Amino acid sequence: MAEIQQKLQGLSDAYQKLQQDLQVSVSARQKLESQQQENKGVQKEFSLLPPESNIYKLVGPVLLKQERSEAVMAVEGRLAFIEKEIKRIEKQIQDMQSESENKKMEVYQIQTQMQQGPQ
Amino acid sequence: MATTKAESQPQTIDLNSLPTAQVNNVKNQLTQELQHLTTSFSQLKQAQVKFRDCANSVRDGLQKGEGTPILVPLTPSLYVPGKLASTDTVLVDVGTGFYVEKTPSAARDFYSRKVIELGQNLQDLEKIVQGKQGNLNVVEDVLRQKVIAENSKGGGEGST
Repeated sequence: MAEIQQKLQGLSDAYQKLQQDLQVSVSARQKLESQQQENKGVQKEFSLLPPESNIYKLVGPVLLKQERSEAVMAVEGRLAFIEKEIKRIEKQIQDMQSESENKKMEVYQIQTQMQQGPQ
Repeated sequence: MATTKAESQPQTIDLNSLPTAQVNNVKNQLTQELQHLTTSFSQLKQAQVKFRDCANSVRDGLQKGEGTPILVPLTPSLYVPGKLASTDTVLVDVGTGFYVEKTPSAARDFYSRKVIELGQNLQDLEKIVQGKQGNLNVVEDVLRQKVIAENSKGGGEGST
């Protein structure tokens, strides 16, 4: 009985650790998502702009005038990077989810074993 | 989000067969999700109000033209007097550190477009919140019944 208890303890510790890691990855994923949304908004805005508009970029406390093509490229570059990051983290999350699902099943199995044991 | 939704569907059906502790877990999870969504909802609402304020500022603030006396906020509680230098164009923060020079009418277009976009997002989110709330109500009902059933069972055993 003590052995099962110990095993259960170890499993649930591992499960909790996984859940925590998962939480971290999920919030990273959410942050990327919101950055992607913001960049997409900027990209859309640039595409709607009349060609002679002045574009400025905030660098520290100063606004620097920037070429439209440069600004468009910068946004495109960011979007590509964010997309790659999202794919990477997505995969991480999937792996962690399946692993934590496995752990959960193991815990349940042991729990039902323990419940059935004394009867 | 999609996976939790897919999971909660079958769970809702055989909720009665789950032990009380697990039903409680499901309830807690749903409560958390709902909390998160509600926070997002109010943040979106705030953003929408901000954009609407910006549109109004552009409309009302620039109406009187150049030389209009204004108070410029240096900090939220310190203002210095100034004059409007130019009302031909305004700088609009389009996000991620980029600012675009726009005519006042174009700036207003931009802000009203943002307000409409956010309004659509708010509508979508409201539907999701309502769905989650419904799920939560069902789970809470089941949990209550379970607790009542267990209490009456425990009380019966205690008296004998």
